Amino acid sequence: MTKLTTEQFEAMLIERHGQTVHQKLKSATVGIAGLGGLGSNVAVSLARIGIGKLVIADFDIVEPSNLNRQQYFVEQLGIEKVTALTENLSKINPYVKIEGHCLKLTSENIPEIFKHCPIIAECFDKAEQKQIIVETALNKTKSVIVAASGIGGYGKSNEILTQKISDRLILIGDGSRGLEAGFGLMAPRVAIAAGHQANAVVELILEN
Amino acid sequence: MAKLIINGENKDFENTVPATLTALLDALKVDEATVVAEVNGEIIPRSSFQNTILDDGHKIELVRFVGGG
Repeated sequence: MTKLTTEQFEAMLIERHGQTVHQKLKSATVGIAGLGGLGSNVAVSLARIGIGKLVIADFDIVEPSNLNRQQYFVEQLGIEKVTALTENLSKINPYVKIEGHCLKLTSENIPEIFKHCPIIAECFDKAEQKQIIVETALNKTKSVIVAASGIGGYGKSNEILTQKISDRLILIGDGSRGLEAGFGLMAPRVAIAAGHQANAVVELILEN
Repeated sequence: MAKLIINGENKDFENTVPATLTALLDALKVDEATVVAEVNGEIIPRSSFQNTILDDGHKIELVRFVGGG
């Protein structure tokens, strides 16, 4: 098996991104709340570009119904998502630091778990859980939140937008097409939204 | 006539504005479990929606979430 040393890996990233950008990305810590279609895709994007550290949290295991859009493999069914994603991210970038939390995020533990994350990506599935993390993060942390809502169905790629709601809240999505509206979740459109989220995270890191 | 400024737009009410944040969300037919709300620049925890009194001219920001992730 071919291996890249940390120096070789970094040289590749610097060649692609430039030294200044690389150093900023390498110094960054990003929280990812929820490791489903959004969270697993956001994590993969950020690991590929050499983010320094990811704090990932999810209480769930990999299930068959996840495979239509989430970054897991058939052989990982039944494994905790935190463990499975850590494994997959390490294969993409062995040098990204990963702090995994296999637990249910609540308004009590969110501030503690993400206390070293200036940016948190909200990647939950249920609307009520999205509400809890955004409200808690805005009220009890100083982090910027990159949330997503309205990513169901297919087509209408250009209706997924990145909106700055306030200095501390960025909202990605079409504003409506949720599960409630009878739209299923599919890899292409979920990945578009996750791409918006990861891209907003990069912008925050590089422009602050 | 009374009004609230919701997400930057004026919303008029015939006599008085809804008494509380919960009453406003009821009137808008929005499930409060899916909403992050700010009243006059302050984020209101969901547990306080019911005790948050609204008055003519208050500025309200509502961010509503739908499921999917």
